[in-house]
Amino acid sequence: MRKYLTIFRISIEEEFAYRLNFILWRVRNVLQIFLTYFLWSTVYSDSTREIFGYNRTKILTYVFGIMVVRALVFSARAMDVSNDVANGDLSNYLLKPIKYIKYWFTRDLASKTLNLIFSIFEFLLLFIILKPPLFLQTNLFLLLAFILSIVLAILIYFLILFLLSSIPFWVPEIGWGSHFLVTVVIAESLSGSLFPINILPQLLQSIVMTTPFPYLIYFPVEVYLGNITSWALVGGLIVAAAWVGILWFTLNIVWQKGLKVYQSIGR
Amino acid sequence: MKKVKKYFKIWWMMSVNSFSVVLGQKLALTMFLIGKIFRFTFFFLFLFFLLKGTGNLLGYSANQIIFFYLTFNIIDVVTQFLFRQVYSFRPMIINGDFDLVLVKPINSLFRVLLGGADIVDLITIPPLFVLVIYYGSTLLPSLSGIVVYLVLLFNGFLIATAFYIAILSFAIVTLEVDHAVMIYRDLTNLGKLPVDIYKKPLRGILTYIIPVGVMMTLPGKAIVGLATTGGIVVAILLGILMMYLSLKFWNFALTKYTSASS
Repeated sequence: MRKYLTIFRISIEEEFAYRLNFILWRVRNVLQIFLTYFLWSTVYSDSTREIFGYNRTKILTYVFGIMVVRALVFSARAMDVSNDVANGDLSNYLLKPIKYIKYWFTRDLASKTLNLIFSIFEFLLLFIILKPPLFLQTNLFLLLAFILSIVLAILIYFLILFLLSSIPFWVPEIGWGSHFLVTVVIAESLSGSLFPINILPQLLQSIVMTTPFPYLIYFPVEVYLGNITSWALVGGLIVAAAWVGILWFTLNIVWQKGLKVYQSIGR
Repeated sequence: MKKVKKYFKIWWMMSVNSFSVVLGQKLALTMFLIGKIFRFTFFFLFLFFLLKGTGNLLGYSANQIIFFYLTFNIIDVVTQFLFRQVYSFRPMIINGDFDLVLVKPINSLFRVLLGGADIVDLITIPPLFVLVIYYGSTLLPSLSGIVVYLVLLFNGFLIATAFYIAILSFAIVTLEVDHAVMIYRDLTNLGKLPVDIYKKPLRGILTYIIPVGVMMTLPGKAIVGLATTGGIVVAILLGILMMYLSLKFWNFALTKYTSASS
């Protein structure tokens, strides 16, 4: 445990070693929220308007919720694993007395901690500037379910990243290509980062909900807003947990097979 | 004219080389292509379903909003197709490989700006033009509206080019380019929709400091007949001024190049 705490501490220090990079990354996050915020603010400029199951308060809370949940779920370092595999740097870690997956999960947690702290400051700053009406959830059960859904989202995203990073075992040149397609494009689109999934027609919604992506952002924020309750909430948490199980099982098989074909190319 | 021919030939050769590299990695090419098409289509569908529910956005009809989005894409994709080399500029500066560009008998800015055309973006350009023509025609524009649209579209390319030159210059001075170019892209992404949706002070920034509105929104407004003569003249003057300033910045940045590590 102590060695992972050391990795956590070093990872935080490493993030601060590239301060400008980190700050610019956070600036980008704020810029990305503007389009979503002002678009929805315009659609719901009439405060009495109710459309797609939201009113102005709930939709703007959704947008602000995205900011915090994104910092927790999408801040990760595990995409660098594909470089380790493709360049042969993985060999360095295999020789060390640490679990490689735990090592990267610890680094992810360090990144999430730092990003969460910054996102809270950004949240407060934007709240002061934009003065949106926000919905405050007071139901303790829903708040606990919200926290649980975020934990599951973090695990799902980490496992997706690690699975994608395993592809270079077989095709080293598509490490970034697969991350671009899945994490930059598909996860961003289908997770609900831009808009709540339930504005789509029922058929499209059903298709999207069969993937793990809506459980990254949309589901946790909807739980916070109280739009998903009772059996739908329990069912959603079970599906998210099932995705964690499926992805973990798949990763174990893929990673073991990958290690067998790994040739430490470049070393 | 002879000089233009020479540079076109060089650009053609550099582009063919760049395409050859990408075509050698067909799987990666396919993934990037699918990703770009997916991202475009998903936002397109989002706008379609959103406007189906709301009827309009700030008084703009669904087709008008989609036309704004398509105009944004045309400027974004064409500039990325032409200026992809900018994304690889940092290693050139860090390693001192920029020396090899400077000693060649061609314009160094031309080489680092246009040296790596992107085939993935090139593939997506023709269908985008078809969509622009289709949605543009549904807005029943006048002939003068079309002409002004094309002029402002060109002006949008000019401003985008000025930004890319400024990013390259910034890279020489500070060694930072990756985030600068991504921040530029995040800001221009705000032009996916008419800048009228943003409130002060953001709208002011997007109009006067990073003129996303002039680049992306004004051409669309010309098609729907909302651009004023004064606005068009100011936009063109702004385009010329930005190009002039970015070239000045480039010449200044060259004097700061240290040829480190070479």
